[in-house]
Order: sequence, then C-alpha cells, then structure tokens
Amino acid sequence: MVKRNSFFKQIVFVCLFGITLTSCKPKENLLPNSPGEINFQQFVAIGDGNTAGYMDDALYQYGQQNSLGSILQTQLQLVGAGEVYLPLMGSSNIGTNSSLLSKLILGYKTDCLGATGLSPVRFAQQGEVASLTSSVYSSQNKYSNFGVPGLRMIDMVSTAFGNINLPQHNAFFARMSKDQFNLPGSGEYSSVQENIFDGGYPTFCSIYLGIEDVLPYARSGATTNPMSPLLGLPGIGFEESFAALADGFSVQNIKAVVGTIPDITKMPYFTTIPYNGLNLDAEKAASLNQIYGPLGFSFIVGSNPFMIEDPNAGTFGVRPMVEGELILLSVPLDSMKCHQYGSVYPLRDEFVLTLAELQVIRNQTLAYNQVIRQYSNLYGFALAETADFYAKLYDGFVYNGVSMSAKFVSGGAYSLDGIHLNPRGNALLANVFINAINKTYKSTIPFANALFYSSTYFP
Amino acid sequence: MKRIYLGALFLLHFVCNNYGFSQGFQVNFLSQRQQGMGLAGSAAPYDASALFCNPGSTVFLDENNLVAGVTPVFGNVMFVDSSTQTAYRSNSPVGTPFSMYAMFQLKPAAKLKFGLSINTPFGSTIQYEDNWIGRFALTRLELKAIFIQPTFAYRIADHIGIGGGFVISKGKVNLQKDIPVQDSSGTYGHAELAGKAIGFGYNLGIYFNPSKQLSVGLSYRSKINMNLPNGEATFTVPNALAANFPNGGFTGSLPLPSVTTLGFAYHPCSAFTVVLDINRVGWKAYDTLAFDYATNTSSLSDTKSPRLYKSIFAFRSGVEIKPCKSLALRIGGGYGFCPVPNGYVTPETPDGNRIYGTLGIGYSFCEKFCIDASFYYTKITRSDTNLETNLSGTYTTIALAPGLSISYKW
Repeated sequence: MVKRNSFFKQIVFVCLFGITLTSCKPKENLLPNSPGEINFQQFVAIGDGNTAGYMDDALYQYGQQNSLGSILQTQLQLVGAGEVYLPLMGSSNIGTNSSLLSKLILGYKTDCLGATGLSPVRFAQQGEVASLTSSVYSSQNKYSNFGVPGLRMIDMVSTAFGNINLPQHNAFFARMSKDQFNLPGSGEYSSVQENIFDGGYPTFCSIYLGIEDVLPYARSGATTNPMSPLLGLPGIGFEESFAALADGFSVQNIKAVVGTIPDITKMPYFTTIPYNGLNLDAEKAASLNQIYGPLGFSFIVGSNPFMIEDPNAGTFGVRPMVEGELILLSVPLDSMKCHQYGSVYPLRDEFVLTLAELQVIRNQTLAYNQVIRQYSNLYGFALAETADFYAKLYDGFVYNGVSMSAKFVSGGAYSLDGIHLNPRGNALLANVFINAINKTYKSTIPFANALFYSSTYFP
Repeated sequence: MKRIYLGALFLLHFVCNNYGFSQGFQVNFLSQRQQGMGLAGSAAPYDASALFCNPGSTVFLDENNLVAGVTPVFGNVMFVDSSTQTAYRSNSPVGTPFSMYAMFQLKPAAKLKFGLSINTPFGSTIQYEDNWIGRFALTRLELKAIFIQPTFAYRIADHIGIGGGFVISKGKVNLQKDIPVQDSSGTYGHAELAGKAIGFGYNLGIYFNPSKQLSVGLSYRSKINMNLPNGEATFTVPNALAANFPNGGFTGSLPLPSVTTLGFAYHPCSAFTVVLDINRVGWKAYDTLAFDYATNTSSLSDTKSPRLYKSIFAFRSGVEIKPCKSLALRIGGGYGFCPVPNGYVTPETPDGNRIYGTLGIGYSFCEKFCIDASFYYTKITRSDTNLETNLSGTYTTIALAPGLSISYKW
C-alpha cells in the first residue's frame, strides 16, 4: 500500500509540474502597430473602380466590402483609422455596370461547336437598376470610400461628373454625391473633390487614379474614347488635374499614398487570346492560301496569326497579326470558332490593339506616371508602385503556397472582367500601398492576409 | 491507479494543445532511464531497452527482462506570420510514442542474448488551426512508424559484446492540405494523401567495458526507406474542377535516416553514473519529398518538393544518483543541431536547433519489479522564409513529455 501511494505521488508530481509550466503555450510577441508620422483617423480612399470594389464587370456589395479601399482601411484601422463606411449597393449582390448589366459569375456555356465549358456568364437578367437611381448620401456619416467606377484623374474637379442632366455624368458618383439628384436648375453640382472635403477634411487619403484616363481608349481597340491629354487646365489635362488635387491636399495638410498606373495591356482582358491562335488543318490552310495568296499572305498547317483589319496595311487594309499585338476579350468568340472570324473575315479594329496603338497607350501611361511621381515627391506623398506589382503578377509568383498570376480565371487575382482585381488581388494590391506608407511615414502597419480574401468561385 | 493516471493526462490535454514531438520527425523517447538522463545512456545498459539503444550492450545484463513504456507528448507550435503579424497555433492530438522490449537468456550469465524490440523512433502528428495562413501548404500531417526488431547479441570477450537486429518498419502517412479553389459558397478544396508504408533496415552495436568504471558503446541504425506503393489521394473540389483533380492512387517514399551513436558511461561508484552520447543522424537522405500520381492533369502534376536536409550531430548528457539502492534520481540535457536548412522549413517539421532538459526517477519495488518515470521539456524557435511556398515567419515550439515505464526481470 505504501508503495502504491509513492507511485501515485510520483504521477501527480509529474502532472502538476506540467500544469504549472505556464510556458506550455508559446507567447505571442507580435511587433507593435504604429501609425508613425500619420494621423489616420479621417481616412478616405479615392480612386476608380479598384478603390470602389468594382469587379466581375459590376459594382456589387460584396465587391465593395472587398475593395482596395476597404481592405486598405481595414489594415489602417489597426493604427487608428475609423470605420469603413461605404455607399453600399443592394444586399442581393446582383450588382450593375453602367450598361445596367449584372455582375459576371463563372458558369457553364455551350459554344457554337456544341461544347459546354466554364465561362463568365451574367448572374442575372438585369443589373441593380434601382441602386443607380436612388441616392445613398447621408449628411450624418461621410463615406470613407470615394472610389467611383470610371473616375478619371481629370474628373476630380469636374462639376459635370455628378450632374445627372448631362449625358457624360457618372451614375455611381451621382448616387453618393451630396447633390442628391438635384432637379434641373435647382442648384449647383459638386465635384468629387468637393464631396471629399465636405463636412471636414480627411487626415489621410489613398489616391489610385489614372487607369481610367487610358483604359477606355484601350478597351475600344484604340478607336474611340481618347485618353486624357497630359496638358490643359484642371479638368482637362492630367498634369494640372493632379497638381490641383495635390495642392488642395497640401493646403489642408492632408497626407496621402498615391499609386502609379500599371501597364493595363498586361491585364487578362488583353492577353487571354493569343495573336497566333488560328489553328488550321491542311484543307483550311489551302483555302486561306487561295483567298490571301494574291495579297502575299500564306498560311501553314498548325498555328497561324489571326487576320485583322488595318487601314495602314496596303490596298486592302488587311494583314496578319504580328507578335506582341493583342486581341481584346470583347471579340465575338463564337464567330471566331465557327464562322471564320479572324481568318476569312478579318478582325475589326475595335477588337485589336496593334503595335503602334500599344506604343501610344504605354507611352501615355509612362507620361502619367512621371506626373504622379513628380508631384508625389514634391508634396511628400508616399508612392505605391502598383506598376511593379502588376508586372510581378504578370510574371507570376507564389503567395503563402498559392500560385498567383495574371492568367484569366485561373490566375487567382483578377475578377471575371479580366481588368479589375478580385478580393484577393485587391488585398495584394492594398499591401503595396501599405508598404509605401510604412516606408515613407515610418509606420508599422501589418499587411493584409490575402488568403483571407476570396478568389474566383467555381460552380 | 491507471485510471487516475489517464485522468491526469486528460487534464493536461486541456491545459496544452498537443502535437507529436520530434527532431526532424525523429523521436528519441526510447528508454525512460535515458529520457531522465538527457536522452543519453547507450553505453550504460540498464534494461531490455538496450536491445534498441545498443544491442551489443545487452550481453552485460544478466537477466530476462520485459519492459513497457509510454511517453505522451504535449506540445504546441505557434507560427507568427511576419508580414501580417498574426499568430496561428497547432492543435495536434497528443503524441504517444511507446516502447516494448523483451530480452531473454537461456541460462544465467549466458554469452548469448536474444530479444524483441517494438518501438516508435520516428513519427509526428501535427495539425494546425483552421484557416491558418499556411493552409495551402499543410493542414495536417500524420507520420507513424513502428519498428519491430528481433535482436541477437553475443559476448565475444569478457569486456566486449556485439549485437545486431533486423528492423521491419511498418508505418502510415496521412498528409492533408487545402487547395486554393473555391466552390460557389466560397469553401476551399481539400487534398488528403494517405497510405501505408513499409521499410526494412538493421541495427548494429558494439559495447566495450574496459574497466568497472568506464564503458563505451558504438551503435549504428541503418537508414530505412519507407515506401508507399499504394497511396490513395482524395480531392474535394468544386464540381467543375473534379476532372482536374481525379481521386486515385499515388506512390511516394520517405527516408527514415540512419543514426550513429557513440556513447560513454562513467560510474566511479555504484551510486553515481555520468553518461554522454554523441549522435550523428543521416538526415542528408531526406533530399526530396516526391509524390507520383497515377493520373496527371493540367492541375495535378507529380510533385517534387526539395527538402535538402543536412546530416546533424546531437550531444546528450546526464547523471544518475542513487541515494539508496531502490531509488534513482536523474537529470540531463542536450543540444541538437537542426537538419532543416534555411529556406526549407515547412509546417511539417518546424524544426530549429534545440536545447532541452530532462528529469527522471526510478524506483525498484523489489528485485524483480521497477518503475521509471521521466520528464522532458524543450522550446525551439525558428524563423524562415520557405523558398517553395514563400511562407515567412517564426515558428515557436514548446513540448513537454512525461514518460513512464514498468520493468519486470527474472
């Protein structure tokens, strides 16, 4: 009996020893979050659809909640930023674009060959029309996100931008503007900048503008929607517009992080269809040789460049594409697959960006970025080199065990419109802004966990 | 008594989250006496556990002996992601390395000994909390290997014994991780690779006893390649991607490294023993973790993940004091270098160089029956950025292991 007791004591001793070792669980020694030199209290995110959370070719609630602006502010809340307050769309998450179409989801589609496969399809017959025609402005609570789909740098000071009586007005802005759908002739319309400054100045802003100054031109295949000119008064020229914005901030001692503009032609909307995706068998190659032989173009069995319209290409204005030229995702794919579009019938100009057009787009982007860098340095703003991030994404990288790339659908970062990022892409982009803030203003804001944010949903 | 013991373990389970503890995935809980003396003592044969620690040393134990022991391992891994400054923890089940030894001689003071050793010198079960940032690298890994080793030893001279055994290792592997594809409700895919493995090896030892006070032992346990000939891969993915991730067979293999041990024991008087072991563990054998799937698709290709482990040394030492004949008190510690090079630390084995300490106690109830208990504690910290996954942060591991064995000899 005595021996039994001694054994029992031994066990109890061992167990108590274990329990009293409070260091059984490793302690969290996390780095402190510091705002550095910045007061983040009144934070406002300013930008286009990326900042607003436009994705899958629509503005919808879930996208807004997972926008660049929202994710960035969620991280900034760790160093004092206020509540995220968004001009939310409907909770049904149907969303809408400016053509009143709903968001895209990944669904099944049967093509002209009868093959069923995954494809972006509209989520609903019609977009959230009601959300675009009702005001969500509240004088009590200022939005912390002034991301507006389609907002250009040159629109910031424009009073036409929110004027619903003008055809060029932006419905996404009008619904959140303090003007609250002024009746014709009933008052002045205010600019985006006036709205941002209304009811108290922000203490810190993120500014991610410029993509929309060049994107519509590229999306038209360089046929319409000219890019914002570099020179001109605020509201017309890119440089003066940004200078006015930056100066307005400087006067009020507002600090900011400003993003540079990526090379939009590396987005999946422009890179998914290869220029030489015309695959021919012997019969088709022979028939095309018969058609185009007299023009001096020949076709081989296998992979060939698509044929395009080009007014500068000889008498007939037709030529094969060359490497580096891009086909837009707006091209009618069924016609390409089944009706010899891109071969017997050349692709129209609006679906193609030629080398010359690409050069113009890229040069303009470089010029915009030069302006952004110059004035950001001048006013002491942090500079987020988003162009580097998009380039890295185009090359592909691994993030915490997940491969990310700029591939359409499978790349994991772009939404189904092939232009705007999805929530995960936005989180990675937000980290570029956070990195710039930390470096410039000596803050230690933790990065967002991009894997916490969703990617494409598969059926 | 047993019920109380289990009850206490149950309590501990709630105090600490647990995980199977290992160096690399080596588990050195082989003998309770060694566990009390800093995991050293291969040159100080004590009971039938010598069959495994150094088969050659058994020839100086003049007895038949049965030993059974278990060492529940309670541990915690915490990963602090460097970029998000967020901590994630493991919630692994309790590890239960065990050992059973049976040693016999045909007559007293026989030159020949034979016996059977069954134990778990390798293994690891680690499971991370749900939704942790490394979920696409690993959510759970269970490695189990049971060594069955029939052994013979012979005293070739008055002071020299040699011994050897053939090792059959039966094991199982279960590796799980999430797949970064989401279904229409946002749920991520999941992969589970499971299979039974088998491998063969051997264990040799020579023991030299030049004086009453000093003994020296050298033992070598061979590398064992654990082959998974019929692994089964199960993927849970959105319907649209089911064809990309076909369930089916896979093959793979995992090396269990060789262990060479040079041991010294010094006992100037019967009440005092000092032991020192130097281990060389051949981790260099773990070069690549490869999975070869029966069916490959555009999304599922065979994987070859570089591990590039290095062979390492470990130094272990301890003392035993016997205030009276029936009681032994032990203390020890050691230092082990980490086999995992920078850039290759994975959530599977978040290993680093380690210092550990141990305590032990032995009590003989009578000539034939004794009980040994031990306690082990370590804390390991390792920071790394994995080159394959870019998972970057600091792993902190705390493990404690109370062990108990009973021994009967005649």
